[in-house]
Amino acid sequence: MTLRELLKVMTGALLATPFLQLFRKKEETGYYWQIDPDKCIQCGKCETECVLPRSAVKCVHQYASCGYCLFCSGYYQDKRIEFNTAGENLRCPTDAIVRTYVEDPYFEYKIDEEKCIGCGKCVKGCASFGNGSLFLQVRRHLCKDCNECRIAKVCPSGAFTRVPADKPYIFRHPPEVKS
Amino acid sequence: MNMLGVVQARFPAPEFDNYKVPLIQLENIVADVTPWRILLLTLFLVVGAVLFYKYRSRKGMLFLSLAGLTLFGFVLKSCPCPVGMFQNIAEGVANGTYVPLGILLLFTLPLVCALFYGRVFCGGACPLGALQELLHWHTLTIPLALDRVLRLIPILLLLLCSACAACGLGFPLCYLEPYLPIFVLNFATPLAILSAVFIVVGLFVSRPFCRFVCPYGALLRFCTLFAVKKPVITVKECVNCKLCEQGCPNGAVLPPEPDTSTATRRKGSRRLSTLVACIPLALFLGGLLGYFAAPAMSSMHRDVRLLRDVETKQQTLEVEAFEAQGSSLNELKARAVHAQNKTLVCMTLCGMLFGACAMAELIAESRRRREENSYSIDASLCFCCGRCYAACPLERKEKTHEK
Ligand code: SF4
Ligand code: SF4
Ligand code: SF4
Ligand code: SF4
Repeated sequence: MTLRELLKVMTGALLATPFLQLFRKKEETGYYWQIDPDKCIQCGKCETECVLPRSAVKCVHQYASCGYCLFCSGYYQDKRIEFNTAGENLRCPTDAIVRTYVEDPYFEYKIDEEKCIGCGKCVKGCASFGNGSLFLQVRRHLCKDCNECRIAKVCPSGAFTRVPADKPYIFRHPPEVKS
Repeated sequence: MNMLGVVQARFPAPEFDNYKVPLIQLENIVADVTPWRILLLTLFLVVGAVLFYKYRSRKGMLFLSLAGLTLFGFVLKSCPCPVGMFQNIAEGVANGTYVPLGILLLFTLPLVCALFYGRVFCGGACPLGALQELLHWHTLTIPLALDRVLRLIPILLLLLCSACAACGLGFPLCYLEPYLPIFVLNFATPLAILSAVFIVVGLFVSRPFCRFVCPYGALLRFCTLFAVKKPVITVKECVNCKLCEQGCPNGAVLPPEPDTSTATRRKGSRRLSTLVACIPLALFLGGLLGYFAAPAMSSMHRDVRLLRDVETKQQTLEVEAFEAQGSSLNELKARAVHAQNKTLVCMTLCGMLFGACAMAELIAESRRRREENSYSIDASLCFCCGRCYAACPLERKEKTHEK
């Protein structure tokens, strides 16, 4: 049957066309989701929109740009009554920021990812009065790599981008990961 | 206030005496499982074809699909799966962006397999199919006419979702996937409602998603038309016991049709010529519908929405972010107009194509000639589950003989 043969050849050709893409110059895109921290406005959607019961987006601390402030604006509320670590003075709703004394007058702030819900409150605080060393990022070991990230769809600042498998993280500033 | 909070050293990094500044806490690069998925998928397709055609084993196919469910659904990352990947490809082709090789391969392998052996992917490797197979209890037969109409939905979805992906409207199919809550173990309400509906329907209607929603299924169906090897039930002289037809919950087994008289033949050919004459009309109507649906679609585009909000001075988060990023309004306008035009073209094309597909379906239906005195399988509707093999008494006899 000639029509059938023709259709068959056409189907085969159609299946092959996407592979023409491979001859294009390889660009820096892949299929893993990451947030561009410089675009994020910490709207809070990252906490609620992820398909997972607990969001795959967590706060990440880039220590190298941290000021180790005594009065960390990511740690304390703006309208705190006093600088003590009572719950109502702190920004983080789940008490996920662990504060440890380093040396006078510096403190180290560490994010406990078990507790972090990715709400971005501390990130906002740090960005407005501090160095901006906290940022939200999709944690690759938690993320399901949805074909369309539910957060990306609603992110008001268009901060979500796709990255290739060999460059799986976007950092806030100079990358300084150990490999 | 600096809303974006770009890194700025308001407080210089202190110099410590004996404290080493820690590095970012990041799990070392998470392993990329895509090569494994490709390898396993190939293996599953080969094993599936062997089990289904050589051993004709229902149990084998069931075990294979269970293994597929565990591996592709739970052990390896389940997303992005071949079912939704046509969207990535549509997006890549339309925008001229790079589509990773992994996606290309995962998408084409099952289709290539369908060109040779039919929908072995559906019966053996698709986690969604396996889940539906498990969650099926009692088959209610759907009237043939309704079945034929509903069969058009996957084609429509295939075209619509591709159009959306091509126009930058996102991947709508990913929101229609009813079994997602089971794979991500999140049973919060908005996600779970669709899921519950499909599961309840699936108890009585076999593979509701596969038959009436899955756009990838439509592609597989199309490829199966040209399959080199198609499933055949009757190994020997068929005794017309009807058991296989009752055994197939998917309506893929066709009863024999005694040689039709010349009167019905002539009626058939008249119907065929009417249908062929209707093709231009269908194309025109489809295109028209698509053309008029386009503005509603493009108003959902990110840039179009943002432009509208900026122009009407609404205080949305998007506008806030837009202002904070200091992007230029003219660029946004250009992007929005581009998106609108693109949607118009894509939707018109999509409508015309749907018209063409619907007509093709009707024509194929009226041209089909069945076997004269034995039951046969419509390969394009067969999910390669092997139930009919298990139901055939001749086949069972043969198998016990072998033993
Ligand atoms: S949704 Fe976007 S803007 Fe909002 S917190 Fe997440 S990345 Fe930031
Ligand atoms: S890709 Fe999916 S799992 Fe990952 S952050 Fe987005 S919604 Fe959550
Ligand atoms: S038709 Fe069903 S089994 Fe086949 S690809 Fe679609 S969801 Fe999977
Ligand atoms: S293998 Fe048989 S029972 Fe299963 S879908 Fe195909 S025709 Fe129906």
